[in-house]
Amino acid sequence: MTIKRRNLYLYLTLICFFGVIAIFIVDGYMGIYDTVYITAGEREQKIESDVWQRNDPYRSSGIARGEKAFIRYEVDNRRFSGYEADIDVSVWRMQNKVSDVLSQHIAIGSFNKVQIEWVIDTAELLPPDAPPEQGFDYTLTIKRGETERNIILYVNPTPYPVIKTVPSPPR
Amino acid sequence: MNIRLEYVLFVFGILFCLAGVGYLAVEYVKNLSEAGKLVSLLLTVAMFAFLSKYFEGIGW
Repeated sequence: MTIKRRNLYLYLTLICFFGVIAIFIVDGYMGIYDTVYITAGEREQKIESDVWQRNDPYRSSGIARGEKAFIRYEVDNRRFSGYEADIDVSVWRMQNKVSDVLSQHIAIGSFNKVQIEWVIDTAELLPPDAPPEQGFDYTLTIKRGETERNIILYVNPTPYPVIKTVPSPPR
Repeated sequence: MNIRLEYVLFVFGILFCLAGVGYLAVEYVKNLSEAGKLVSLLLTVAMFAFLSKYFEGIGW
């Protein structure tokens, strides 16, 4: 009787262990995961899919004025079935759409991934009369089916020009 | 020194279990939903409780 009861505790331990493993596989691994890579100023920033669980827009590092940001969007299908969706990328500022960047249909096989790349040129985003000392925030919106990811892109102001000092005339 | 082989195997088994759970925790806990995190925590607590009772039963 004692041995049976002792073994029962061992079996319950094993059941709990395999329960934890099953939750990690089904809830933590399986599903659709998307990752955004932003390369600006020779620095690559990786925005992993767990960032979106906070439901806040992600604030990326700045882009120098006049330069381009190279963005890569990766969709990872970790399911036994295929996945299809329409990807729409646009740039917004103050609730107004500044530009449509991309519109593409993707189809991913099971346990496969797809990457989409595009370029954001700050010269095309900024208004022509933008003062050089002002920074600008833009929202990059990536729509994948019903899912929406928002990333705030900050365009840095132009550094102040070096003020040349005029030497005082000799007396 | 006479260490029983089954105890050595138990220790190896426990270490492998902990290493496996630790690896999964580091890699995938960030992707778990809130309910998944809670159930995992409860199962982990229960696992250690049952393991303690088992070791108590075998006289450790």
